[in-house]
Amino acid sequence: MAEQSSPDWMALARRGRRHRMIFLGTITVFLTLVSLPVVMPYLWLLTMSVTTLGSAAVMQVFWRAAGLVAVLYLALIVLPPLMPERFRTWVPAMAAAAAVILTTLFILPLTTLNNFRFLWNPDVMAAQQGRSSTIGELPSIWSAMGNSFALAGTQTALILITATPAAYALSRLAFRGRETLSRGILLLHAFPVMALTVAIFIQSYWMGLLNSILGVVLVLTTLELPFAILILKTFFDAVPWDIEMSAVTDGASRWQAFRLVVLPQVSGGLIAVGTFTFLRGWEEYVYVTTLLIDNSHMVMSLYLFWVSQDAMGADPNLIAATGVIYLLPVVALYVFAQKYLTQISFGGIKG
Amino acid sequence: MAQIAFEQVSKSWGETEVLRPMDLSIANGECVAILGPSGCGKSTTLFLLAGLYAPTSGKVLFDGHVVNGVDARDRNVGIVFQSYALYPHMTVRANIGFPLRFQKVDKDDLSRRVVEAANLVQIDEFLDRKPAELSGGQQQRVALARALVKQPNILLLDEPLSNLDATLRMSMRAEIRAIQRRLGMTTLIVTHDQIEAMTMADRIICMSRGAVAQIGTPDELYRRPADTFVAGFIGSPPITLLEGDAKGETLHIGTGAMTLTASTAGRITLGLRPEDLRLGAPGQGGLPARVVTVEPLGREVLYGVETAIGRLHVLAMAGDAVPPAGEPAAVQIDAAHSLLFDAGGRRIPNLNIRP
Ligand SMILES: Nc1ncnc2c1ncn2[C@@H]1O[C@H](COP(=O)(O)OP(=O)(O)OP(=O)(O)O)[C@@H](O)[C@H]1O
Ligand SMILES: [Mg+2]
Repeated sequence: MAEQSSPDWMALARRGRRHRMIFLGTITVFLTLVSLPVVMPYLWLLTMSVTTLGSAAVMQVFWRAAGLVAVLYLALIVLPPLMPERFRTWVPAMAAAAAVILTTLFILPLTTLNNFRFLWNPDVMAAQQGRSSTIGELPSIWSAMGNSFALAGTQTALILITATPAAYALSRLAFRGRETLSRGILLLHAFPVMALTVAIFIQSYWMGLLNSILGVVLVLTTLELPFAILILKTFFDAVPWDIEMSAVTDGASRWQAFRLVVLPQVSGGLIAVGTFTFLRGWEEYVYVTTLLIDNSHMVMSLYLFWVSQDAMGADPNLIAATGVIYLLPVVALYVFAQKYLTQISFGGIKG
Repeated sequence: MAQIAFEQVSKSWGETEVLRPMDLSIANGECVAILGPSGCGKSTTLFLLAGLYAPTSGKVLFDGHVVNGVDARDRNVGIVFQSYALYPHMTVRANIGFPLRFQKVDKDDLSRRVVEAANLVQIDEFLDRKPAELSGGQQQRVALARALVKQPNILLLDEPLSNLDATLRMSMRAEIRAIQRRLGMTTLIVTHDQIEAMTMADRIICMSRGAVAQIGTPDELYRRPADTFVAGFIGSPPITLLEGDAKGETLHIGTGAMTLTASTAGRITLGLRPEDLRLGAPGQGGLPARVVTVEPLGREVLYGVETAIGRLHVLAMAGDAVPPAGEPAAVQIDAAHSLLFDAGGRRIPNLNIRP
């Protein structure tokens, strides 16, 4: 009787463990399947950029790289939860070391850096295929990259400098028409910007800003500003009024209270908005083709487009290599910002 | 170090009047407690003094000078917010030192004063943590240290001890009171704890719905409350209020009656504090009663007894011999401490019931 009334705790614990394993397993399989289509194109891009089309190396490099990614994935994401605690700390280091060794032994010997020659030789087409390009000589990729950095960087700086005070004012100060203004900003963002291209072209022409990076920066800043203000406003909304008032009673001026107490608490929002704005400027294509009408102001997106538009037949390897170079700053920026970006959701609430 | 006054100060948000025109005068170095139910305007009063809210009308005076237009930063007010309002991105050390950054204090002096303030509220071991890594009570003490560190002329405390345990609360009370006396800071302390108000404050402001119901010493509010609101709010366990009709010297309540010390007429409310009643055996005289509820409160026991004039609450010592529940008993009333209120709820002075 007594044994019947007390449940078999051991069996229940085994069942609980089994349930947790099934749950985790299902989630892992699902996420793996979903991420496959995302990862594959990048793997191809990388493969193409370090091989020559038509050579046997292409497929070999692709499959070996895919295998390496799969092994790393297993070692870093799938296995750790199943392993005893004490192994977990050194598994990532082991995996990284293994990856470096495997890459050096099995992948590097098959690859070539020839596709990246545009980095040091401006006349890519001639150098690559022994003929000159029909479209004319491309400017050096470094000037395109410099222009892209200038464009995205200036745009980011302008947006942050203008959106921060605007968002703060909308969030904090009770002035007439605040609600209307907020709604208006939301409405502005709802318009499809493509519809404005012609109008913006004419406006830029009249203002003499055609064919200048500054013109594009001003246009993009104007179009992005409403969204940046809205996002930053939610971050300012999340900073308690008391804290700012506490700073003021502690003897700070309104400006000091803003800079020392409020601003540090919206830094996540500033980094998020800054990152997105920079990426928007870096990727921008529509307005740069519309407003930069000759070759003298090449930016990265135009450069990639020109490389892929050679009338004598585009070189996929060259395009892939250019694509990799185009992606690198994005990856670098993401690595820098991801610590902050994963901490925030759009309500400005840490999660 | 400052004498504070309100002259007809009011505060409205749009149409709603949160604080009705209020007069107030607090002496230099005085410690005043503000008591009142939630939402009655206690925090609003503090924010008006600190300069965080501008009054809708009226004048705020420090030492007789109108300060309505003076910025909060120039008022030299230390404030503990109800929400603590600590700076989440700064360590405890930086939080406490923050007010000193805006005064001409050299580095060594600053860190010495920060440590002193932290010692005072017993949080010196947490100086290098962020507020999020502290318990509620520890955060509250950091807020207190930050308000004290700059040695303000006026100290405003919005429920500064609400999150502390009983022992710590008692030692903090004494600590705050001592430093307040030593530095002569004019202090306003908002609290929901009557004991705290009674023990710490020279005077108590009892507020109700955006207006002052009564200002006075703790004893005045307890023994001579201005109206039924104050009588009901001050005292724990709360006073029993019984409504009746007076004809001449007789006050009819329920099926019973009491004799008054003077003749009057109309609706009269009788107030009896549980600690002014005594429960005994039926033969010993007093109002016949029957015990219905027994609530042990530790050292004391609160009895609910049914009498002809209604349900009364009686406070007795735990060891006292008291008739068990259901048995007949008698309630003796300390008539000198009985309170009588007119139809409008105002206390009628110099009127008592006869023993
Ligand atoms: N910004 C505001 N706009 C409109 N009404 C407000 C505002 N701030 C406070 N009130 C109202 O003013 C009244 C008094 O608020 P206050 O914060 O002074 O209450 P309190 O006495 O401190 O209450 P508690 O004990 O709950 O802290 C409340 O009814 C509140 O709803
Ligand atoms: Mg309050």
